[in-house]
Amino acid sequence: MIRTLAGLVIVLILGAVAAAVIPEMQMREELQGVGYSYASRGMDETGSSNLVTAVIVAYRGLDTLGEVVVLFCASTAVVLMLTLYPIGVKASEPSRIVAFTAKVLPAPIMLFGVYFIAHSHLSPGGGFPGGTVIASTFLLVMLGSSSVPDRNGRLPAIESLAGLSFGLLGFWGIMTAGQFLNNAFLGTGTPGSIISGGLIPLISIAIGAKVASEFSGVFKAFRNSGGEA
Amino acid sequence: MSTAFYWSIAGTAAGLILVGLWGVLTRKHVLRIALAFTVADTGANLLLVWSGYLPGRTAPVIDGSIPASEITSAVVDPLPQAMVLTSIVIGVAVAALFVVVGVLASRRTGSADVRRMKELRW
Repeated sequence: MIRTLAGLVIVLILGAVAAAVIPEMQMREELQGVGYSYASRGMDETGSSNLVTAVIVAYRGLDTLGEVVVLFCASTAVVLMLTLYPIGVKASEPSRIVAFTAKVLPAPIMLFGVYFIAHSHLSPGGGFPGGTVIASTFLLVMLGSSSVPDRNGRLPAIESLAGLSFGLLGFWGIMTAGQFLNNAFLGTGTPGSIISGGLIPLISIAIGAKVASEFSGVFKAFRNSGGEA
Repeated sequence: MSTAFYWSIAGTAAGLILVGLWGVLTRKHVLRIALAFTVADTGANLLLVWSGYLPGRTAPVIDGSIPASEITSAVVDPLPQAMVLTSIVIGVAVAALFVVVGVLASRRTGSADVRRMKELRW
């Protein structure tokens, strides 16, 4: 009762704050500040048609490197805890529908994920969503099978290699252009073609491989933690 | 997009954050708290994307339909969208961590009720 009342009071106070603050954010008619700079110069400077990817990978590449580290810490913590303290809940046998779906759908879904990553500089998508889509195929395969995955897979190797290549691509920029994660030293190409955007496609592939192997590792740790079905 | 719809998005976002916060504060089952947390997370992401909206404009992906000279008057702000992409991924990782800690804590106490987890008493 006390907990419900306290929660109600806190939510009402914050709701009043939101009701007072949000109407102050007037609808803008024009781009301002960094948003304007990214929109006006982004395509010329990075060669990427997708300005969101240009911001994530080129302009804020260092922040993305930090984000990848945060993701690595979280997934390592999940895998470590599940390995040290197995949950021990037996997974149930997959139903026929799930088992059949897990045979048919993984290939097209994975192709979609690869497309997301490979076209990150051209169309909506990128390394993070593409990697997540690829990891979902592994989840589907695990759901459709009653056996647990091999404990000694190569996921950690792929993950380490992807993280290392992100860092090395950054240092490549120091060597050639004197700037960490410099995007333009490879040449930016013609915006809209598949070979364009300088370093952006390469870093997207590294991010995609890392996200896919990390999330697959988390799913695998959950699955192995339950033991054989 | 009409003005009413524009403001209803902001209202939905604020509502999701408040509902999620309400759930985190009042629910007892540890997985429901994790779910409420992800609801609040979604609301925060929606509010960020909403803040970058400009009326009558398209996504910040430049293709042949947008002349190069009119980019700055044709696309919405790309910065909030980039931030939200980051936020979604971190949100998933934090939710996974949340669930694992919750499951292990409920194993330890034999119940998923947070009131039974004496170490976490407030």
